[in-house]
Amino acid sequence: MSTLERVQSALAAIGAKPLASREGTPFFSIEPAHVREACRILRDVCGFETNTFVTAIDHFPAEPRFELVWQFLSVQHNDRVRLSARVSGEQPHVDTIGDLFPGTQYSERECFDMFGIVFDGHQSHAGGLKRLLMPEGYDHFPLRKDFPHQGIEPDKLYNAWFKQRFERHEAEHADV
Amino acid sequence: MGSLKPIDDATTQQGFMATRVDELINWGRKNSLWPMPLGLSCCGIELMAMIGPKFDLARFGAEAARFSPRQCDLMIVAGTLTWKMAEAARVIYDQMPDPKWVIAMGVCSSSGGMYDSYSVVQGVDMILPVDVYVPGCPPRPDAVIDAIMKLQKKIEREQPLKARLSGDNLDHGIGSKTFVRAPNTAVSTRGSHAVLPPGESRP
Repeated sequence: MSTLERVQSALAAIGAKPLASREGTPFFSIEPAHVREACRILRDVCGFETNTFVTAIDHFPAEPRFELVWQFLSVQHNDRVRLSARVSGEQPHVDTIGDLFPGTQYSERECFDMFGIVFDGHQSHAGGLKRLLMPEGYDHFPLRKDFPHQGIEPDKLYNAWFKQRFERHEAEHADV
Repeated sequence: MGSLKPIDDATTQQGFMATRVDELINWGRKNSLWPMPLGLSCCGIELMAMIGPKFDLARFGAEAARFSPRQCDLMIVAGTLTWKMAEAARVIYDQMPDPKWVIAMGVCSSSGGMYDSYSVVQGVDMILPVDVYVPGCPPRPDAVIDAIMKLQKKIEREQPLKARLSGDNLDHGIGSKTFVRAPNTAVSTRGSHAVLPPGESRP
């Protein structure tokens, strides 16, 4: 029984559709609502202990715009499997799998930082979803296709950043 | 006589030297710069070579690199400063005691360099008042030593006593409202405590 068949039969309950994959890794398209269920099945039934990455592809201007991709690795079976879900909107939401695969927390933070995809229920450091690579207070999502690669108004970013620092300093020294 | 006292015989017999207080302070400051090595990328390697025995920054009295900003007065930003790192760099600068100077080492810290990108600060003068810019990718240690000698010349021109007596606010720290982006010239005249003529306010 090949990996594809094994995973396909396990994921049949949530209606996963196999997709073509260039290098032969089993690849399934699922509904965004079924992400947690699919991941639970992969972990508990199919023996995929590890998440390799969570990332997104921006198909701008096609709709639904974002394609989320999860890849899992099974060390005991020496197998990989990939899941894909399409989400749309300016601030797309999808469920986190950070509690099922703790290692995905950083991947999800990066994905949020770069694409603006909100992972509902994400709780890294119990502080919720935060930016990973860009500073706090940055308003844009750099890996989106409609983002200019030279960045948007760094002066504005600096001014906002310095204003924030100044106000914090004023507040801290208000009693002096 | 106030605080002025006649020189006693013992002093005259031992000999003394007349100088201006400014000159004395500047002489001390310029010959004992303590660098804060903010090595952010490949420039940091050249910075280490510069401090090491071959180029021997000790000849100019600036070899005592300290990793605590509280003990430093010369910040050498060596490498690419990202926006994520910018806040940390500014906090380190704020923690350094006055008087303090900044050298932007390499094109990345001078202007962003080849990283014309959303994630890189396009010149550290966006967040810090830079005294000397050093071009190069990375600059040779000689070039940075030259920058330090230029900075020493700049320190010679400062008037610390006048600044102190005129109540000039030396603080360019976090709470300073006077901090603006420094002009992007080869050698900026804006230091952390450049003295302005009377009646002229900071931009």
